[in-house]
Amino acid sequence: MRILIVEDEVELQRQLREKLKSGGFVVDTAADGEEGLYYGNEYDYEAAVIDLGLPKMGGIDLIRNLRGGDRRFPILILTARGHWQDKVEGLEAGADDYLTKPFQMEELQARLNALVRRAAGYASPVMSSGPIALDTAKKELRLNDDPVELTAYEYRVLEYLMLNPGRVVSKTELTDHLYEQDFERDSNVIEVFVGRLRKKLDPFNPIRTVRGQGYRFTEQAGEGSG
Amino acid sequence: MKSGIQTRLLLTTTLVLGISLTLAGLVLDRSVRLSTLSGAEEQLRLVIYSMMGAVETSGPDVRVPEPLPEPRLGQPESGLYAWISDRQNRLRWRAPSAVTGDVSGPAPGPELQPGEFRFASEPTSGDGLLWLSYAVIWEDPEETVLTFHVATDWTPFRATIASFRRNLYVGVALVTLLFVLAQMIAVRWGLRPLRTMAQEVREMEEGRRQRLSDAYPSELTGLAENLDRFVAHEERSRARYRKAMEDLAHSLKTPLAVVRNAMERIPDDPRALLEEQLDRMQSTVTHQLSRASVSGPVIVGRPVDVALLVERLLRALGTAYRDRNVAVETDLPGPFEVRGDERDLMEMLGNLLENAYKYTRSRVRVTGAVEESLVIRVDDDGPGIPPEVRRAVLDRGTRADEVQSGQGIGLSVVAELVALYHGRLRIEESPLGGARLVLELPGALRRDG
Repeated sequence: MRILIVEDEVELQRQLREKLKSGGFVVDTAADGEEGLYYGNEYDYEAAVIDLGLPKMGGIDLIRNLRGGDRRFPILILTARGHWQDKVEGLEAGADDYLTKPFQMEELQARLNALVRRAAGYASPVMSSGPIALDTAKKELRLNDDPVELTAYEYRVLEYLMLNPGRVVSKTELTDHLYEQDFERDSNVIEVFVGRLRKKLDPFNPIRTVRGQGYRFTEQAGEGSG
Repeated sequence: MKSGIQTRLLLTTTLVLGISLTLAGLVLDRSVRLSTLSGAEEQLRLVIYSMMGAVETSGPDVRVPEPLPEPRLGQPESGLYAWISDRQNRLRWRAPSAVTGDVSGPAPGPELQPGEFRFASEPTSGDGLLWLSYAVIWEDPEETVLTFHVATDWTPFRATIASFRRNLYVGVALVTLLFVLAQMIAVRWGLRPLRTMAQEVREMEEGRRQRLSDAYPSELTGLAENLDRFVAHEERSRARYRKAMEDLAHSLKTPLAVVRNAMERIPDDPRALLEEQLDRMQSTVTHQLSRASVSGPVIVGRPVDVALLVERLLRALGTAYRDRNVAVETDLPGPFEVRGDERDLMEMLGNLLENAYKYTRSRVRVTGAVEESLVIRVDDDGPGIPPEVRRAVLDRGTRADEVQSGQGIGLSVVAELVALYHGRLRIEESPLGGARLVLELPGALRRDG
């Protein structure tokens, strides 16, 4: 999952980036509103974390501009003042949740996960499709209630596909959302991850290959059906 | 209450006017009476002179031949009478008008020296006559001393005086009335700028006006300008203070967040202690800053639409707490307004409503009523707050270092804010099964129609 962080305080920005990276997110950072707007318009994100007190363009204006440009990813606002005025204005501008500084990193991660999952249409932290249940809080996969071991990258591939059910996701898109920008891109690696995932999901086969385009996660019917 | 300027001015002028006009009336009355009397005396003197010209004496005989010098002396009860007496007070002649009727002769008085007049300036009680007597040495061989007495009926003079007096009283009353009326108009007109000012100040309080108008008389411009300056200064310093608080919040909280996150790399042993201390710092900073940024009741402020605030907050909370699937009902009969600072009200209501969202199972109900105060009840169907801890929940903010982050910290902030507004916050049991928070704020704006 790719996340945009817009925070002007250098140290906090660094901490956020590291924490979220280690939590399995791909993170882009911007230090002011204008840079944030550029990133937000240029790239595709699963969610954004936006501080309200930003230089050049305030957080509220940034959110308005993003929403005005039809960018729909969930936005979590950070506010140091913690006034209701700020929270309400932020939410009215188009944000989806708020967090008051100082905050716990775990809280931020949990909120982000919830926002992303909610945006994909899942009501609970466990994204389930028939027998397949992916617990985004514990980062666990269960098949018919039996736990299945996944590596971090396998988890991320499955999570991203399940966040976009029924939609064809290209290998490039997958790479974008799984790796940092400067990462060596090799579509073979993706094929390897998908191949391993399919084996682990056997006998179910939710990941279909769309020739020349990419992969599609197909919704699974009730328990036990293939 | 002190009497108004208008009453004072009116009372003073009416009193002074009343006293001076009464005195003027009395003086006028007296001088008219005196001049009437001296007119009568003059008339009588003329009658005596004309009688002296006409009188004839022969020995003891004294007579005034026809035609009498004053025709009224010949008519009985004509109101003008005359007598002539000698030194021994014996009556020697009397005019035909005095012969019949009830008119008695001249009253015996002290002897008059020849050439001396005596005027009885008060009508003698019995006959209602004014008397003038004159003694003279008659130039005959015996050098007789004759005393002429003339009397005139007082009644016509009295009638003149009475009618004058009537006119005088009516006139004085009318003049008094006129003066008082003029005074009232003058006072109202003179005080009108003050009333205008009071009205404009009220409009400023209600936020319908930014500053006083310029149309004040020179005596009041100084006051008006000072008032304007005071209000502007108050607004500026409030804004400055708020800005300072926000800067402080930002410059304290961001480093706190950084420190907290950086501590993860520290080994467990000192970290627990550091975290505990950091928690205390954090909650103190949070609590004190949210307290300090409250402006409290405002001198000048537009009415805040509480129903609209609640609506905005509920929409925002509905977004942030989307996963909770809370069913919300509101009943805030409009117009639902209170005078205060919008941000303060938002803090109070935001914390109250968020508290309900946090602890409810499925329902939140917001109801309100405009009574003496603005009353807002927030109900939820959560676990509720047991009676024995209610006080503690609301009092938590009394000592900063006792403040713990977590449950209900927002409520103690609300309680303090509400106290600043001279309002009340109560915790009750909700008919929905959870907690009911009742917020009472004075300064509700009632609008008719």
